[in-house]
Amino acid sequence: MITKKDIMEISSLSKLYLSENEINTAINDISSMVKFVSQVNSVDASFEPLESINEVTNSFRDDKIVNSFPREEVLENAQGGKEGFFCVEKAR
Amino acid sequence: MCSRSVIKKINKLLLSKELSCKELTENYLNQISSSSLNAYITVCKDKALKSAEKVDEKIRSGEKLELLEGIPMTLKDNISTKAIETTCGSRILKGYKPIYNATVWNTLKSKNSVLLGKTNMDEFAMGSSCETSFIGGAKNPHNLNYVSGGSSGGVASAVAGNIAAYGLGSDTGGSVRQPSSFCGLVGLKPTYGSVSRYGLVAYASSFDQIGPIAKTVEDAAIVFDEIAKYDPLDSTSNPKANSLKTYESLTKSVKGLKIGIPKEYYDGIDEEVRKSLEKALEHYKSLGCEIKEFSIPEVKAALPVYYILACAEASSNLSRFDGIRYGYKTSHYTDVNEMISKTRSEGFGAEVKRRILLGNYVLSSGYYDAYYKKAQNLRGLISRAFDKAFNTFDILLTPTSPVTAFPANKKYSSPDEAYLCDICTVPVNIAGLPGVSIPCGFDSNDLPIGMQLIGKKFSEAKILNAAHQFELVTNFNYIKTPSMGVKI
Amino acid sequence: MKYELVVGLETHVELATKTKIFCSCANDFGASPNTHCCPICIGHPGTLPKINREVVNLAIKAGLATNCTINFRSKMDRKNYVYPDLAKAYQISQYDLPICKNGYIELSSGKKIRINRIHMEEDAGKLAYKPSEIYIDYNRGGVPLIEIVTEPDISSSEEAKEYVEKLQNILRYAGVSDCKMQEGSMRCDVNISVKPFGSNSLGTRTEIKNMNSVTFMTKAIDYEYERQIDVLEDGGKVVQQTLRYNESKSSTESMREKEDAHDYRYFGDPDLVEIILSSEDVEKIKKSLPEMPESRFKRYTETLGISEADADLLTKYKNVADFFEAASKEIKSPKIVSNFIIGEIFRSIETESEKENFDISITPVQLEELVKLVELNKINMNLAKKTLAKMLKTGKGVGEFISESDMQGISKEEVERLCKDAVKNNESAVKDYVSGKEKALKAILGSVMRQTKGRGNAQEIEKKLVELIKNT
Repeated sequence: MITKKDIMEISSLSKLYLSENEINTAINDISSMVKFVSQVNSVDASFEPLESINEVTNSFRDDKIVNSFPREEVLENAQGGKEGFFCVEKAR
Repeated sequence: MCSRSVIKKINKLLLSKELSCKELTENYLNQISSSSLNAYITVCKDKALKSAEKVDEKIRSGEKLELLEGIPMTLKDNISTKAIETTCGSRILKGYKPIYNATVWNTLKSKNSVLLGKTNMDEFAMGSSCETSFIGGAKNPHNLNYVSGGSSGGVASAVAGNIAAYGLGSDTGGSVRQPSSFCGLVGLKPTYGSVSRYGLVAYASSFDQIGPIAKTVEDAAIVFDEIAKYDPLDSTSNPKANSLKTYESLTKSVKGLKIGIPKEYYDGIDEEVRKSLEKALEHYKSLGCEIKEFSIPEVKAALPVYYILACAEASSNLSRFDGIRYGYKTSHYTDVNEMISKTRSEGFGAEVKRRILLGNYVLSSGYYDAYYKKAQNLRGLISRAFDKAFNTFDILLTPTSPVTAFPANKKYSSPDEAYLCDICTVPVNIAGLPGVSIPCGFDSNDLPIGMQLIGKKFSEAKILNAAHQFELVTNFNYIKTPSMGVKI
Repeated sequence: MKYELVVGLETHVELATKTKIFCSCANDFGASPNTHCCPICIGHPGTLPKINREVVNLAIKAGLATNCTINFRSKMDRKNYVYPDLAKAYQISQYDLPICKNGYIELSSGKKIRINRIHMEEDAGKLAYKPSEIYIDYNRGGVPLIEIVTEPDISSSEEAKEYVEKLQNILRYAGVSDCKMQEGSMRCDVNISVKPFGSNSLGTRTEIKNMNSVTFMTKAIDYEYERQIDVLEDGGKVVQQTLRYNESKSSTESMREKEDAHDYRYFGDPDLVEIILSSEDVEKIKKSLPEMPESRFKRYTETLGISEADADLLTKYKNVADFFEAASKEIKSPKIVSNFIIGEIFRSIETESEKENFDISITPVQLEELVKLVELNKINMNLAKKTLAKMLKTGKGVGEFISESDMQGISKEEVERLCKDAVKNNESAVKDYVSGKEKALKAILGSVMRQTKGRGNAQEIEKKLVELIKNT
């Protein structure tokens, strides 16, 4: 049901790098999971879809400035911030 | 009738000065450090003692102490605590310290709660055993060879093992109720939108809710009343939350209460669980409740609907973990794309990766209609079926889990085999309803059995009241405290 | 074979709000990196978005100003893709229920460029590529945008230019955005293809992204049009690709990023709730809209006697149009006001940006005062112009430069007397005029004008002189 090509495509979308072994395991695992959730296909869905699960609508915020966080805190958890910027080395 | 509430007992001890908050907290901290439950990921010794001292000062000055003040408690490790490590049970967030507090933590902090530490959980709340955590699973205090359940396994383990008076967990498909059931505790998943999600690291946004795990219904009610309120920071927060007061409604009579028994929930459950539920029904009958069986076939689609929608939302919620702004980052790579992929592959565990893959699969073009869209439609179908049931019944009674706690390191033949034990809890999240699990028996291994009371939206007072009446009529027989931890 | 150009434009416009779309950080341009950030806009775990009410208001204004239908029910969706400038690895946008649809902008030719939709979304941060690193600034992350998408109705680069300039003007009038392309508050993606004349099927299109100058956009369109024709005439096929315009090479080139077709996996954002509007909500916003440039242009040309060229100049900037109207309230000939604005006042302004702000030293009331004097013939045009120049320099009103008595103008008796004197004292000029030298009259006129100190009306005085000479 799920092919290696499928796994390659969704792992690319997922930004997950899978080794050869992991790909093979994934083919089995994901196939089983997809089979499991495919049960929905056999249920009749000819009815009005529910518009939203949450009855809350129009949740708005006023256009008022609240002070931003200090830059040190913003960068605190990042590795290698420089000159106030987040920094990613192109290769390492 | 003296109360079995742990919170009230501690409050009395502190006010009578029988014990200082500092001594009490030290007690808990000592028990935590010698505990083999693997319930805690991070222990906040200094901060806890500081909070305790603040409470002691308040007592010394003769000020009145509210119920929640000075109570040593815990938070599941996916609830953001400023400057305190918050890992979500994952390597990818090891060392990550939030720069802000979750709203629920701000609330409890302002009540001088004593945070003992952050507890263990299945990685990113994905799992039903606590074993997908990067530090391994928490143990069930009733039998250390068995799982505590998940994903809020650490909270349940700590509360049942008496190394926390109560805790806050999160429930997406049963993650507060099922470990409560496995560990013999009361666990409440509130109505969707009644407790703020701001600061809860998201797994599946339209299902996640934070809820209390405690020894008794009174404790759960006291905590819930405090955290249930409208939060302007959470767009999905419902203003109706402000009028939810449950503690004051606990002592109402349940005579005439209409209890519905949904047939489909009882298919394929353990025999011992079934017997326990039948006995529980007898108790409710003796209280004058009207009990009737009914059919709600729509719930049969609940598990696949849940896994499609939850994994879809999770795949998107977890995309942000790329090592750039926080968290783990891989050490060698040849381009940024590779950096991101390797970081995630090395940082996430297997179950998380599987669910991300499935989530992207059901959202991808070509499959969206057949899976995601279909599941959304079925979600509506299931919700409406429950609405209909509540036209007839006040509450529904079901098992919390088809099984009791299973041995640690159980192997499944496929990932989805593990999903089957969510069957009783998941429909409640699908419909956004409140559901509480309370202990109602023990199996032949002395492991707790839990039953679930489900109400319509914003009926927490009703289900907690029904739960408390059960506690009273059974004289709290099903609270069995394993002899470990702090004795109150 | 001859080819038609087919262009559709997607314009991203930054909204003029105080705060970002989903958090309360300031919506500001040019700040120090990462100083307008909070856990929400840097995508920290556990944070949640909450939509800025003003963003919705401005999006509705943009829709009303461009003749769109406002969707009473709309929602936000997640557009999932991974890029370092996108903090959550998804952009919150609108997919199947955008806030506005089915509008148009009418060009001067009468042709309507249809607008398919307008939707709200958040902007991403900014990347800076260094030799071995990428620097990221999230200040711009979360800035509110609306995206305005046209149908492929544009048939020439001139039409594209006109559409963009008209859109800019409309959005500025509506207070939606300052639409400054050079600052990045407005940018266009051009979808362009060619098809044989008269053909019904569209050719393969390419996309030229991030045009932030109208001049370069027209150049890019012209270049790409030719390039696609060359490809087809050589027997090849146009390849669908994303391009950028290289200004130094004056050509389009492929964007170096990988050309993977993105699967955005759109789904409704579960952290946000639906936006439900009533017709009253929309009416209220409609009432708050100022009169649009189209409507003002029509009114100026049809009822105020302003020429099309002048009306164009007046309506180009809202501040100019507002000033013009305020200064013309009690004026019978608004054309005079118009002339002063387009003439003396525009000449005193140095930059286009200053013209747009129209932050000049005199008030509309002051200008009106001056024009009233001209209308009532109390002073003549020459003097008025000179006085205006002085007013602009000093910011002071007419009273500073023309005395009370001067403002009374000149009486008929005084005109009669001055003319009689002039005729008497300029015998030789009179003789010349009578014998056919028209110019001689001008000399007499000049001397009278000097004596009136500019108060008199030249035409009337000339008439009087001729009358007097005839009767002599």
